[in-house]
Amino acid sequence: MRCFNCGAELTSNTFCTNCGADIREYRRIIWTSNQYYNDGLTKARVRDLSGAVISLRACLKLNRTNIEARNLLGLVYFEMGEAVSAFSEWVVSKSMKPDKNIADDFMETIRSNPTRLDTINQSIKKYNQALLYARQGSLDLAVIQLKKVLQMNPNLVVAYELLGLLYLQSEEFTRARRILLQALRIDRNNTRVLYYLQEAEEGISARYGDDQLAKQKKQGSRASSDAITYTSGNETIIQPVNSGEKRGSSVLLNIAIGALIGAGLIFFLVLPSRVRKASAEMNTQLKEVSDELTVKNADIEEQNKTIEALQAENNELKGSLGDLAGSSGMAERYDFLAEAALNYMRNPDDVTGTEALLGRIPVGEVSANSLSISLNSVQTLDPSIYSQAFINLYNYIDNDVASRAARTYIDSGKEKLENNDYQGAVEDLLKATEINPASDEAWYYLAESYKESGDSVHATQAYSRIVNEMGDSEYAEKARSNLSNGAATENTDDNNNGGDTAEQIQEGNAAGNEQDEDAIAQALALQALETANAGAAGTE
Amino acid sequence: MIDFEEELKKFHPSPEVEDAETQIRALDVTDMVDLIVHLEERNITQ
Repeated sequence: MRCFNCGAELTSNTFCTNCGADIREYRRIIWTSNQYYNDGLTKARVRDLSGAVISLRACLKLNRTNIEARNLLGLVYFEMGEAVSAFSEWVVSKSMKPDKNIADDFMETIRSNPTRLDTINQSIKKYNQALLYARQGSLDLAVIQLKKVLQMNPNLVVAYELLGLLYLQSEEFTRARRILLQALRIDRNNTRVLYYLQEAEEGISARYGDDQLAKQKKQGSRASSDAITYTSGNETIIQPVNSGEKRGSSVLLNIAIGALIGAGLIFFLVLPSRVRKASAEMNTQLKEVSDELTVKNADIEEQNKTIEALQAENNELKGSLGDLAGSSGMAERYDFLAEAALNYMRNPDDVTGTEALLGRIPVGEVSANSLSISLNSVQTLDPSIYSQAFINLYNYIDNDVASRAARTYIDSGKEKLENNDYQGAVEDLLKATEINPASDEAWYYLAESYKESGDSVHATQAYSRIVNEMGDSEYAEKARSNLSNGAATENTDDNNNGGDTAEQIQEGNAAGNEQDEDAIAQALALQALETANAGAAGTE
Repeated sequence: MIDFEEELKKFHPSPEVEDAETQIRALDVTDMVDLIVHLEERNITQ
């Protein structure tokens, strides 16, 4: 002990041997302070925390420099959940004794876990809020807030006290008793808690009778006897005594029950979730496949259209190829020209054969009836169809053989006419007119042949052609005479009247038609003569 | 039966971290030893 006045080490004397100050009262104060410290320490050891706080505060009022008492007070505050008060005591302790102070360790422990410190601070704020609610009369809100506080900071004794008081006010005595008993596990001799607990038990007795209270006390004592409570750091751990493992068949039964519960959980919770997930995945895949299918269908449709277009083009090309290589194609026309040229060189006198081969080459839109061929029409090959070499060769051969062939056909026709082979004569003379449409001789004998064969209409047409288109011909006058005399139909009438051949008899049924033809022929002849006369008058 | 209002008055807000400085200042009060020292100094002066 040191002198409060000079700081010298004191002896057993009642005064300071250094400065002479009276130290009797000082010794008594220090002694009393130490007694309070010892009392506080004893109470803290048996978890009489509120009692310890009172003793330690008294100790510090006598001697504020009692570092051990201040550190212990901080520790007790911390155990009661009031971390700020604890921290304050340790800070003061540290300021009084900067070196070798255990308060350093306490503060370092708190500082090392800022989350824990923040949680404690939040719980204190909520406690203050709950106290405000209670003062404002919002007891329900205060109860809710205090429950949260105790979840965050289960050692805050004042929160238990306030919650117990609120339960008492709402006459929830059983709850109040349970909460207050929990508070007593932290602070065993808290006067206020004991007071409230007494009120709660009186309330239970008044409402339910002493038996109920005794029953609750018995349950409480059994619960407390069935548990071992010990402190590990700042935590109070309660471990049941009779918590030995079950053995034998009960273990198997528990395993089976656990398995059943697990299976039930899987069936009712996990399985539907999996099914939903699988269904969602399936739907997604189905949508993707559907989209892909749509795209492929569009591709297929486009390709089908392309195929159809190509098919049509192919058919068109095949048609063109057929036109070129078929029976009426260009290749065959070249063959005819080649055969005509070959025949022309090998058999120069066979002009009709050569001309017949040339005639198989289509020149233009020529009617099968050669009578419709105009004299002015010049049959030339279409340069857009035939090559120039083709046209040159054709014209070379045709210019040489056409006139001779026509002459040959005319002579042959005339000979056949004289021999009464009218059909043969018509055929030869038709060929002659085809080859040389300007041959008046061919037309005249063709008309004669028609007349002799009884075809008055064609005969009249042939005569008319000579009269109208070859007026200067030596045969024009004869033709006009025949037309004006009705000679074109005379022979027909004779044949019809006096003919007794089998053919004429068979054709008798068509007499009406022949009469119509005669009328047509006569009308044509009349029209031709009028046209010829009109032409002659115009010339004059 | 306890008086709720009276009991409620006994409760005080718990100091928060923000109030720590104020609380620390309040803790540094004069103790009995300080009084003795003060009395001794006055006696010496007289």
